[in-house]
Amino acid sequence: MFTDKIELIDFDKMDPEYKELLGHVLTIQADCEIGGPHLYVEKMLPAAPTKLDQLIVARTAAEEIDHFRKVARVAGDIGVDVSFVLSQPNEKRFVDTFRGLITTWEDNSVFGFLIDRVGRYQLEEFYDCSYLPLQRILPDIVTEELGHIEYGYNKTLELVQSGDAGKAKAQKAVDYWYVRALDMFGRSGSKKSERYRHWGLKRRSNDQARQDYIKEVGPILTQMGLTVPDPNKGRRYI
Amino acid sequence: MPQAAANTVELDEHLMEVVRALHGAVKQGVSHKEDTKIMEKAIGDCKEILDVIMKGDVKEWLN
Repeated sequence: MFTDKIELIDFDKMDPEYKELLGHVLTIQADCEIGGPHLYVEKMLPAAPTKLDQLIVARTAAEEIDHFRKVARVAGDIGVDVSFVLSQPNEKRFVDTFRGLITTWEDNSVFGFLIDRVGRYQLEEFYDCSYLPLQRILPDIVTEELGHIEYGYNKTLELVQSGDAGKAKAQKAVDYWYVRALDMFGRSGSKKSERYRHWGLKRRSNDQARQDYIKEVGPILTQMGLTVPDPNKGRRYI
Repeated sequence: MPQAAANTVELDEHLMEVVRALHGAVKQGVSHKEDTKIMEKAIGDCKEILDVIMKGDVKEWLN
């Protein structure tokens, strides 16, 4: 297990596998950061229920663009150009969850509540990681992701409390996004995931992170009066 | 030191400006919640900026 801490100046001396894995994970992270706004800006900026919500959609997009910028800078400094993901069509996103378009407010709300929470989990994987320039950008990004999660939670709860029709819409959106959220953690027996851990780039196995997420989200959904979907139904990656 | 990818600094600086402009527009709207016209102008400004970013034409931005 690799336990050293690496600065940019040390990067050239690193094993080719380390360089490849770091470049790969930064590319995926950059794609996920910009993938969010590409899902919701087009339809939700004009259609959010109030003008204030419209501005919060814009602010959320601004923060995700800034997260992209920070990740792109870390990647660019080691010679990995991730700018191509800025113009990548949604159907070519690295992670399935970002392929498509959000067209309803309930989907937008649950996306923040459940998918930005996975985003937080993915970022937490880099806490205390071996590449210090990546570690340094995390605190501000995670703080903003927590804001997105809270906003998504509050908007989902508003829907649930608005009556039977609102609750049904929220449940339908949860059923859709929960499965995608669990799939975002990747395959349980992934060999690549083990190599990330070997090099100190991630902390947990895919399955461990997914189980932690399930344990966190289940009680929140129940407390909101929603049903926790079957975690094995409709999954692509077990 | 590794060789940085082309335009790393330029893209970083450009996006920093974009984010600053977006936050400025949002702040303008949020601080005038009772004024529909200012809110609408702020939303329009955000839309204009975000439309360009969503197109993702990096070459054009950095020209």
